[in-house]
Amino acid sequence: MKLLVIEDEKALADNIKSYLSTNEVICEIAHSYQEAIEKLNVFSYDVILLDIMLPDGNGLDVLHLLKQEQSEAGILIISAKNSLDDRIFGLELGADDYLTKPFHLSELNARLKAIYRRRKFQGFTEIKFNEINIDTNNHEVSIDGQPLELTVKEYELLLFFISNKNRVLTKQTIAEHLWGDNVDFLDSFDFVYQHIKNLRKKITAGGGQDYIKTIYGLGYKFHNG
Amino acid sequence: MRLITKATLLFLFISLLVFGIAGIITYGTVMKTVATETDYSIAMNMWLLENAIREGKPLDALQSDKTNISRVDVVAPGDTSYSFSDTMAMHPYLKRLEPHRKLKITRNIDGEYFRFVMFDNFMERDDVSDGIINLMTRLFLSLGLILLLFSFLISSWLFRPFQKTLQKIRTFNLKDSEKLNFAKTTTTEFEQLNDFISQMTDKARRDYISLKEFSENAAHEMQTPIAVAKGKLELLIENPHLKPDQLPFIQSAQASLTKLSRLGQALSLLTKIENDEFTSRETTDFSEVLRQSVSNFEDLCELKGLSLEKSISDNVMLPVNASIADILVGNLLKNGVRYNLENGWIKIRLDKDKLVVENPGLPPTVPTDQLFERFRKNNQSGQSLGLGLAIAKKICEVNNWIIHYHFKEGVHQLIVKFDSTP
Repeated sequence: MKLLVIEDEKALADNIKSYLSTNEVICEIAHSYQEAIEKLNVFSYDVILLDIMLPDGNGLDVLHLLKQEQSEAGILIISAKNSLDDRIFGLELGADDYLTKPFHLSELNARLKAIYRRRKFQGFTEIKFNEINIDTNNHEVSIDGQPLELTVKEYELLLFFISNKNRVLTKQTIAEHLWGDNVDFLDSFDFVYQHIKNLRKKITAGGGQDYIKTIYGLGYKFHNG
Repeated sequence: MRLITKATLLFLFISLLVFGIAGIITYGTVMKTVATETDYSIAMNMWLLENAIREGKPLDALQSDKTNISRVDVVAPGDTSYSFSDTMAMHPYLKRLEPHRKLKITRNIDGEYFRFVMFDNFMERDDVSDGIINLMTRLFLSLGLILLLFSFLISSWLFRPFQKTLQKIRTFNLKDSEKLNFAKTTTTEFEQLNDFISQMTDKARRDYISLKEFSENAAHEMQTPIAVAKGKLELLIENPHLKPDQLPFIQSAQASLTKLSRLGQALSLLTKIENDEFTSRETTDFSEVLRQSVSNFEDLCELKGLSLEKSISDNVMLPVNASIADILVGNLLKNGVRYNLENGWIKIRLDKDKLVVENPGLPPTVPTDQLFERFRKNNQSGQSLGLGLAIAKKICEVNNWIIHYHFKEGVHQLIVKFDSTP
């Protein structure tokens, strides 16, 4: 996946690059509107991460430009503005998703991957992780071909884990991914624990391996072996 | 009472006083003049009689019921001067006592002394006062009538600049980008008023804009550094050399950052609501908003072991911005879940004129109406920001709804009444 991060705050852009850069992801950074336009003219990207507020221009203009050129790239807007109107406006302009600062990098990672899946495979979107198979279109999970019944939250949790495999996810990150702002920290930790317990039980009962490792005092990691 | 009516009435009252005093003065003057004229006419008659005596007419022929002439021998020193006085005498036609003027004088006619006592009827006091009152009343009534007529005709013209100013103030909105412009007026007072109002509204607008910019910027600018810090912590977690006892520090730093960012968002939301930025008054299906919100809380309730009981009337349409309606409902539900008991319950009831959220819980440690204040929490050390109910209250205020918090027999009850008319 080729990713362009258009973000003027250097430290934040570096965070994103350090976190996302893996074998599968090539991450480039543009610190200004001008730089972004130059890069977009020369290279093509799978996904573009776009900060709306740039020092030398408006991020929404980049969005307009991409739409005019009928770019194939998926677009995720990041903004410090947490207002419903901005969100709707951005999505109406053709962005694929909208994320409000401050976000968890793991959340960003999951959203980027979701956009990439939708764009790249145009509808047919299956995620395979060893014996686990997720059909993100129909929200169905199977283990070795055998369907696995999961609740909505359990499904979201599994998808979040697989999108962030081999990364540490804190209970707080998971709670915010599942419930947004609706939960308090203390309560949500218990809730996360319960969901994870149930998910583990269902996967192992369905013949899958237990990939979820508990990291004491911090959270969990979806780990292959 | 309108200013012009007040002024007219006051003016009429003063006129009444002036007319009264004028009447009294006129009465005095008329009486005095009439007396002088009557005296003069008596004296004239007396001189005519004197001439007649001098010509030798007999005294008896000169006597009448108003004239009495007699010959006298002894003359006191004061008797030869004119002595006029008021007296009452029988009126020849009216046959009753009427005020008269009386002249008493002793005259020397060809060496003989004659004593004259003469009367003449005086103008009646009643007639004079009646006449004056009549006159004054007519004058006063016509003055009053003309004054009222003109005051109403003139007032609309005279007060037009004032009415215009009032209209402008009434439609003034802090959020308008246009300044208030008043039409020129030649009335000094209105000109001063307009100047004052435009200065005041300009200042209010400037303050509003700078406050708005500040609160928006503060909230936004805060989020980026928080995002950076959070990201660094996430990168740190990935570090394989971390010792297990270091991990909780990261966890707690992350939690504090999240709280900080939510605090900024909540405060900026509160300011936005206060600044009436959610004035788009589309009609919102409140039932739908509530159902959506409740469904978000369903699994949380289940996890917390709370039984959820809802009775939501269909088609409760309210003139409110959908996003703040959602925030209001979310805050009330969050409150109901947060301050619940283990294995408790939560009841949600919506009908046309109110929304009620009830849940059992520990008694509040502060009076319930104080829970709507910012940062006033039931449990000061708790995880909540202490802004949820303040936001709920603010949302109710801008929509003219009433929100109440009751605690009775172990049950917390939050009621939002959509109709503020008691």
